[in-house]
Amino acid sequence: MDKHADGFHVAFVGNPNCGKTTLFNAITGAKLKVANWPGVTVEKKEGYVEFEDEKLVLIDTPGIYSLSTYTIEEKVTRNCILDDDIEVIVNVLDASNLERNLYLSLQLLELGKPVVMALNMMDIVEERGMEIDMHRFPEMLCDIPVVPVSAMKKRGLDILLHAVIHHKEAVTLGEVFSYSDNIEEKIEKLEVVMSAKYPNHSSARWHAIKLLENDELVSEEHPVDVSRIVDKSYAREIIQAKYSYIDEIVKECLFNKSKKEAMTDKVDRIMLHPVFGIPAFLLIMAFVFLLTFALGDFIKGYLEILLEWIETGVLNSLNAINVANWLQSLIVDGIIAGVGGILTFLPNIIILFIALAILEDSGYMSRVAYVMDGIMGKLGLSGRAFLPMILGFGCTVPAVMASRALETDKDRKKVMLITPFMSCSARLPIYVLISGLFFGKFAPLVSFSMYVLGIIVALLSAFMMKLFDKSTNNNSLLIELPEYKRPNLRSIRIYVWNKVKDYLTKAGTTIFVASIILWFILNFGPHGMVIEAGDSFASIAARVIAPVLKPCGLDMWEIVVALLAGVSAKELVVASISVLFSTASSSGDLLEGIKSLYPAFGAANALALMVFSLLYTPCMATIATIKKESASWKFTLITLIYELAVAYGVSTLVYQICKLL
Amino acid sequence: MDNKTLWSIEPGKEVSVERILLEDDLSRRLEALGLNEGTILQVITKKKSGAMVIKVRGSRLALGKQITSNIEVKEIVCG
Repeated sequence: MDKHADGFHVAFVGNPNCGKTTLFNAITGAKLKVANWPGVTVEKKEGYVEFEDEKLVLIDTPGIYSLSTYTIEEKVTRNCILDDDIEVIVNVLDASNLERNLYLSLQLLELGKPVVMALNMMDIVEERGMEIDMHRFPEMLCDIPVVPVSAMKKRGLDILLHAVIHHKEAVTLGEVFSYSDNIEEKIEKLEVVMSAKYPNHSSARWHAIKLLENDELVSEEHPVDVSRIVDKSYAREIIQAKYSYIDEIVKECLFNKSKKEAMTDKVDRIMLHPVFGIPAFLLIMAFVFLLTFALGDFIKGYLEILLEWIETGVLNSLNAINVANWLQSLIVDGIIAGVGGILTFLPNIIILFIALAILEDSGYMSRVAYVMDGIMGKLGLSGRAFLPMILGFGCTVPAVMASRALETDKDRKKVMLITPFMSCSARLPIYVLISGLFFGKFAPLVSFSMYVLGIIVALLSAFMMKLFDKSTNNNSLLIELPEYKRPNLRSIRIYVWNKVKDYLTKAGTTIFVASIILWFILNFGPHGMVIEAGDSFASIAARVIAPVLKPCGLDMWEIVVALLAGVSAKELVVASISVLFSTASSSGDLLEGIKSLYPAFGAANALALMVFSLLYTPCMATIATIKKESASWKFTLITLIYELAVAYGVSTLVYQICKLL
Repeated sequence: MDNKTLWSIEPGKEVSVERILLEDDLSRRLEALGLNEGTILQVITKKKSGAMVIKVRGSRLALGKQITSNIEVKEIVCG
């Protein structure tokens, strides 16, 4: 009988990077992010599907190596599995790496819940000339259904769902294989104690084993006095026993263990080279950004022509039907300049995301953790902490969430504090626009230098925190390096499309509304509609703050408005600058507008503006995420103040130095 | 032959794990990844900082110095 009204609950559980999310996407039609590095999924996600007149609720979970957990995202999975809500566990395995994947499977089977095994990546197994004895294999695993699938090629999915539905009532006894007599005896005694105290407990054997391993969480959740039975931790013996059983399975069921892994090893000889590893990484990143700026700007040129053409067209037709002047101004100077201005940066952003997607899907991503481990170690962090920072080039919000994969709370907070310095894609338009106006053919280089500056400030911040932090650092890198593979077109399309959709949605909502609000506060003052923007509400308020920014050469009220607007979404910095300055010149030209209002505004001011925009307070969405992930307002506030102070300091420094030159 | 720390091993060599001298948390995590006493592993590359890439049970792991300097191993003589 079904326990839930919405259908019965099926959890996808497996090692990191074995393809759970790809399988989940393939079955539910969802478009969750997939990539080729361990730890992409950090939250559980639900999806719904109907099959053979049954409603299923599928739950995708973050990958785990074992049920003894360690990091936050692993706890998410553990709690989800142990929750009695889950009726069937689909254990997803990377069939090309059975040996390691089976360790978790044995633990899941010991739970005694219905388990269906999905052997994913069978195509790779076949490609490598390996064979799995599909008769003997399930026999050695309590006769659970084992379904070969290929999530990528969408093969075997119906068979898997069929097995799930038909297997939901089947409960395994939890005894996959026997431990040594001594341990089995203790398990038996513990099971008796457990069932006496918790008669409804469904996974007595698993619990008994966990108690023998001295698992803290288990003894916390179901306290029983077992001191007479558990005289020491048997964790080591239990793990050893599991692995010897796995060795047996592999020996009996796996044939032609592969030799064809040479490609990954060859590439790694360069990518992980002790000397060339770091230059190789820097070259890749330089290539990514130069491509973003050089090629992106080229395409952007055409979009701008298109936008101008639309602007004139709209203006002419509004004139033709005698629309009031103020409404014309709102539509052309407010909405088209604001929203349209943002849309012209789409080529840069698409190129950046394609490059990042390829980087993530090729398998290089977790190598970066190894390559950067030496440098990060000097800053008191493990190389793993560099991954959220790279994700920060895309968007700070998922980057902050990715810090969950770090082991300690201290490391997580450090990473949350420095990740906003990594220049996200919303800040990219600022560099493209400003450096394009003031630096001519050096524009791509200047834009690129902002990314480098962001990394340097982030690393220096980490270094400073290390100086203040007296405790010894126990950071030890531990990450799996997946095989390289050709990036999958579908994964890249999902990745890029999700980001582009976000960007377009933002342009259509936040930026649309903000552009209208901006237009109003710029065109209305205490005495109604104004002719000079200098008499507007915005100007009156922003003039109060402007003098504070004098040391960094940004004491213009228009810039204050732009920066304030940018806190709601960084794209708004560019949108506001376009709206504010282009109205100041008769031709609508931005540079002319700036020069007519502030003749002294030059390259030094421009550089300071970019630096300030790079480093100052992150956007609302990021602030909310930092609050959620750190669960501390105090920490969030410290982060905001620190970032504002750094922005002020560094942009002042840059401005003053440029003045001297 | 005497035991050595893992990080003194040169790339290309195969060794068997003799002892893991890490705190419980970390050694249990390594064990979950398939690296426990008696396991045979191969060193792929290493850096002066002490970080290493090893191959164990068909998967590649990157390990930091704190881990590589606290695992005792024994070289396997070929043949």
